[in-house]
Amino acid sequence: MSETLSVVGKRLPRWGAYEKVTGAAKYLADIKLPGMLVGKILFSPHAHAKILRIDKSKAEKLPGVEAVITWEDVPKNLYNPNKLDLILVHPELEFKDMYVLSEKARFVGDRIAAVAAVDAATAQEALELIKVKYEVLSAVFDPIEAMKPGAPKIHDYAENNVSVHFGFPVAWGDVEKGFQEADVVVEETFLSARNHICQLEPCTCIASFAADGRLTVWSPSQHPFLHRRKLAEIFGMPEGMIKWITPHVGGAFGKYGSLSLEPVCAALAKKAGRPVKLEFTREEDLFATEPRQKYITTGKIGVKKDGTITALQEKMIVDGGAYYTHNFSTTAVNMGGFTGLYRCANVAAEATCVYSNVPPTGGVRGYGNHEGTCVLEQLVDVAARKIGMDPLEMRLKNAKKAGDPSSTGIPMETCTFEEMIKLGAEKIGWKEKRGQEKGSGTKRYGIGVGIAMDVSGAQPFNIQHRNAFIKFNEDGSANLMVNAPDLGQNVIGALIQIAAESLGLRYEDIHVVSGDTDSTLYDIGQHASGGCYQIGNAVINAAEEAKRQLLERAAKKFEVSPNDLNVEGGRIFAKADPKKEISVGAVVKEAMYNFKGEHLNISGKGSFSPNLNPPPFSVVFTEVEVDTETGEVKVLKILYLADPGKAINPSTVEGQLEGAIGQSLGYVLTENYTINKETGALESNNFDTYKLPMTLDMPETEVILYEKPVPSGPFGAKGIAQGAMVAVTPSIANAIYDAVGVLITDMPATPEKILEGVKKRGERKR
Amino acid sequence: MKKEIAKFKINGRIHEVIITPNVTLSELLRDQPDLTGTKHACEVGQCGSCTVLVDGKPTLSCSTLAISVRDKEVLTVEGLSRGTQLHPLQQAFIDHGAIQCGFCTPGMILMAKALLDENPNPTRQEVKEGLGGNLCRCTGYVKIIDAVTAAAEAMRKGGK
Repeated sequence: MSETLSVVGKRLPRWGAYEKVTGAAKYLADIKLPGMLVGKILFSPHAHAKILRIDKSKAEKLPGVEAVITWEDVPKNLYNPNKLDLILVHPELEFKDMYVLSEKARFVGDRIAAVAAVDAATAQEALELIKVKYEVLSAVFDPIEAMKPGAPKIHDYAENNVSVHFGFPVAWGDVEKGFQEADVVVEETFLSARNHICQLEPCTCIASFAADGRLTVWSPSQHPFLHRRKLAEIFGMPEGMIKWITPHVGGAFGKYGSLSLEPVCAALAKKAGRPVKLEFTREEDLFATEPRQKYITTGKIGVKKDGTITALQEKMIVDGGAYYTHNFSTTAVNMGGFTGLYRCANVAAEATCVYSNVPPTGGVRGYGNHEGTCVLEQLVDVAARKIGMDPLEMRLKNAKKAGDPSSTGIPMETCTFEEMIKLGAEKIGWKEKRGQEKGSGTKRYGIGVGIAMDVSGAQPFNIQHRNAFIKFNEDGSANLMVNAPDLGQNVIGALIQIAAESLGLRYEDIHVVSGDTDSTLYDIGQHASGGCYQIGNAVINAAEEAKRQLLERAAKKFEVSPNDLNVEGGRIFAKADPKKEISVGAVVKEAMYNFKGEHLNISGKGSFSPNLNPPPFSVVFTEVEVDTETGEVKVLKILYLADPGKAINPSTVEGQLEGAIGQSLGYVLTENYTINKETGALESNNFDTYKLPMTLDMPETEVILYEKPVPSGPFGAKGIAQGAMVAVTPSIANAIYDAVGVLITDMPATPEKILEGVKKRGERKR
Repeated sequence: MKKEIAKFKINGRIHEVIITPNVTLSELLRDQPDLTGTKHACEVGQCGSCTVLVDGKPTLSCSTLAISVRDKEVLTVEGLSRGTQLHPLQQAFIDHGAIQCGFCTPGMILMAKALLDENPNPTRQEVKEGLGGNLCRCTGYVKIIDAVTAAAEAMRKGGK
């Protein structure tokens, strides 16, 4: 690999930037097909109800209505919208409990029927003409209540509404012994927030059957090939009879790790014999697409007086909502985060996943690690306070080092916690600020820290299989074919930079084909921050093959060995004699157009299946001011140090971290996904009640990229996007704890809860 | 509902379209002239993604009846660039990494244009206030504010 880099590491325009600033970028809702119908879904108004009868005859007779479907019209194949059963080492733990349309309503918003009509008004009118006779059943909205004898049974197979109980698959040591060795043991119970993704583009899908029976789906999937296979299984179709196209995606953050509208949309298109577009409103997106699981976590930590962590134990009740979806996988990742962040000889974790009559949950940025690490990082601060130690010192004491296993159990090539903690402490002025008076008035200052590691893919738990293809054009440019849906994180831009650097071309010489299952090689998709690290390595392998062919052709012309040649900026030249040079285009063209019969389209295919999983590291400092009269928290400053390995494009890496700061701020302070305790209906059903942070809510932010390239990464790069919130959330919680001594045990930390905590502390002190 | 043909001036061009009185400006823009750069993210005026300029004033097009802007100049994101010549705000959004998924970008850029037209030299706080009604879920706004500040400077130096 070349020592000096000309494309990698540069702040280049993101892929698709020109289209996005001019309004030319086409998202799902912007696509119009000839003869396309508008689809709409009838959602259950009841949290739990048996469907006795559905009369759709009036809706079908309405002029302009082309299809009306209920559970009787869709395949009787149970499925799990989460793709992981196709690639998980324990597929039996991803239960299938969902139909395309329900025969029984299990939450307010369950899919009961759907229509396709010539326009939205007609579709809406048709929905109102569908008459459903429900037998309303008693419902349960709380996981503890759901487990009690006599609670309403949501799925036949699940006794006491428990879907699965399992222990951490890679526990080690003896926690009881570890707690005995400890000088101080802290145990606390924490409630995580059922926080929603709220990507700005509401969930949308188009499906169309061709005359030969082939189905094309346009949908912002993170896993086009896996979701294609899921759809094929649901409809009993061969995979090759489905083509999946992913256009520009208006934000994902894990949402499109699940199938959502595609099965209903395809069923409507099939019945109508015409293309159908299904587009959610914001309200529908909020109640009918998956928020985070609600974890009720009892975390226990044992520490010695010198700060050594002797034991960690996590016991969870997981409210996954009305369907199973990602319950097992997010919870297992949660356990990995809780048990794997620090050196600790004795760890254990167990979880009980429970059904309740609330919207089913899914995978959201951080995918369990966010919630597991948050509990751990808050416990560390409580334990540090108990033994009278600086929490930063306690982190340094227990931080992992290179060679230690990461939270996935795979040994780490590098580990920069110690350096980043020390650098961050100096930058923020930790010692001085931590020691200073909190103030005696109503405004109390606090400073907190959080650290985290995440992943570069899902090795070793999931199959991680990547492919890339590169072919040259006559002008010396190249096409890069990958199936790497760009969700806004600019993975495609990074892959272009990697390809250009590897081939000796310029950034603008690479044209990408992505997001079409017909014209790209197989790829497992975008999850667990695996895109840049894993597909990047496949791209390097493809580039090496293409470059080998290119240099062999050029070497013949110059009568030298290919090893004597180099490529830079689109020119091939002899290392010893740079005057011997030729453009890449000339070599490519000659290989295509010659009368010698020596024809070749210079190209290369590369694959990648990882052995390693280098984690990105985060260290985040937060300063807050808490008003003890109103309970309001003002975040003053956030300093984020991150080790992404090599930042392929520093600007987009910073963007991921800054965006995560905003999302964590919302998670901790403002985003309150509220379900009515009587009806089970979502109350926070638009942006006026589900409050995302706005410009004026943002604190001063500073991001430091602490780059330590990993040998196994493409030019040293690791994943970064998924784990970007994981350290921010606990650092905010810990800053509040420092300011007013209130441990945040119920997210989000609304002013009411903080006020209550402040009051309780005051009473205890008196 | 009664349909009528109405004339609209959008991005400097006259468009004749068939409308009913209940059609919103964003529906009209996205449908007949096919100007889909104007986005729908909430459709109730709470996110700013549908922001367009009507006679230079930022307007939530999802909450504005099309009929009410018949005689006015409507500017959408598609009307900002001249051929391949980008507006300084568009260029700054690219240069400063202010775009991720891009769904908020058109509304954000038009809101920023309205801000800079009124105040060519805003402070960072004034930029934050000016964009205070436009939601972005991806960026944390940091690079958006950087971009608007940089565009203001470029425009003052005559980039416009």
